Amino acid sequence: MFTCPGCSCLCDDIVVGTENGKISIKNACRRGAGIFLNYNTSRTKPKVNGKETDFDKALEKAQELIQESKNLAIYGLDTITLEAQKIAIKLAEKKEAFIDDNSSFCLGDFVEMILRGELPTATFDDVRDYAYVIVYWGVDPYHSLSRHLSRFSYYPRGKKRQRGYEEDRFLVVIDVRKTHTAMLCKKNAKFFEVQDDIELINAFNQVLDGKVPSIFTRDIPRVIKEMEKSDFNVIFGGLGLKYGLKGNYDLFKEFMRKFNTKTNVYFIPAGCHPNMRGFNELMFEKTGNVNKYSFRDGKSSEDFAFYNLLKNDSIDTALIIGTDPLNSLPFEYAKKLAKINTIVVDPRMSFTSKIASVVLPSAISGVEAGGTMVRSDGVKVELKPVFEREINDEFILKRLLEVV
Amino acid sequence: MPLQLAKFLKKMTVDVVVGRSSFQAEAADRGKFSEDFIEKSAVVYMKEDFAKINGFKEGDIVKLTRKGKSINLRVAIADFAPNEGIFIPNSIYASYLSDFDSFKRFKASLEPADGDVTKPEEIIQKMLK
Repeated sequence: MFTCPGCSCLCDDIVVGTENGKISIKNACRRGAGIFLNYNTSRTKPKVNGKETDFDKALEKAQELIQESKNLAIYGLDTITLEAQKIAIKLAEKKEAFIDDNSSFCLGDFVEMILRGELPTATFDDVRDYAYVIVYWGVDPYHSLSRHLSRFSYYPRGKKRQRGYEEDRFLVVIDVRKTHTAMLCKKNAKFFEVQDDIELINAFNQVLDGKVPSIFTRDIPRVIKEMEKSDFNVIFGGLGLKYGLKGNYDLFKEFMRKFNTKTNVYFIPAGCHPNMRGFNELMFEKTGNVNKYSFRDGKSSEDFAFYNLLKNDSIDTALIIGTDPLNSLPFEYAKKLAKINTIVVDPRMSFTSKIASVVLPSAISGVEAGGTMVRSDGVKVELKPVFEREINDEFILKRLLEVV
Repeated sequence: MPLQLAKFLKKMTVDVVVGRSSFQAEAADRGKFSEDFIEKSAVVYMKEDFAKINGFKEGDIVKLTRKGKSINLRVAIADFAPNEGIFIPNSIYASYLSDFDSFKRFKASLEPADGDVTKPEEIIQKMLK
């Protein structure tokens, strides 16, 4: 059995066959199967200033840029193993650099609240065994975490949930559109199509206070009534919830606190990156913060979020590992990467690699390199490689660390 | 007769929702410069009724513009699109138009266009300017 590095579910039941040079996959979702089946396509080559070169020359150039950098940022890291993340953090510390990952504009705030004990949380295994009402809020797991419902939440039978989803689960989906996940809401389910998440939280709070809600006058009392039937309910919150809250985290924490005076409701972030939580936990352990950290200043700040470092021209060099900011960051921020020294460490050709000063090809974690990652519920999962590749993230980061 | 009148609409403001598509994520592993990835990324999904009322059909090329930046995308009909607006997958196309004030949901203008969809290389070139 292998572990799929496709998303934060980190499914550890993947069967990979490699007979006669052909790969076959069992149990993986569309995204996961694609990672294994296409592992050898679209691979990047070592490059310096857009021109192909050999790996050693590209590595030498990357070492030189890091050595000469006065303001270095290390960014990405959510698709690499804990072992590689630790080296990246060490590199940032020794170089007094900035370090950040995608969680600063993804679900890092929620992870930090959980690690600080401000939100009650649970594991997927608890959810499978005990959860009755399962809420997906601002997330479409059908596409982003494709086996989430079948392995951990809605469909499986658990210790206290033996009668399956037809009778023993109640599904709630909250979104701005009728997603594929929302289409599952038929029997024992409710879909809330919302335009304003804060308005919805306020309406839930009204019912929790014994008042009539301003919206969804029948449906909110019904959901709360269903939750009160069980001692275990869970909310999976995604990016839609994060951006819907518009920074009003205190409101959400108060809503969770109030809910938990009536029944038990847990919160688990539903982000996609396979090892985002791993990076957040390592950083929290080391610094007390989960992301956007400056080792020179010894603190985390919004100013040290990678996109703000770019926006404010605060860095001269960016070491980007296992992410593609040209694909994921708004253009006004990403375009600044073309004006500074950008070192990309990635197994595949990315948009960012097209504008990078140096490109260092690495191995695909979970396919060509082993190690450990942390699921979005905080459980550590081992990954073993199907094929071993000598030059992986750990190897590259160790070599970069040598010159600091 | 809203159906006929709508065909004369040249430009309209729409609500754009950005999200994940597993088909597109799978295509990314086959290559972000591949035809497959572009086909699954340079796309606006809209509901059939929304398309009909506004004079669009499957396969049309449309121009999506926000804050002076435009891209050409292809129309696809889908039941998972918002009722009054469009859905586009997370990608360099969505990132080209978005900002952190309206990262996953923003207003943009939509109008019919000629030619083909914008290629990722064209957006990258704009970054290098």
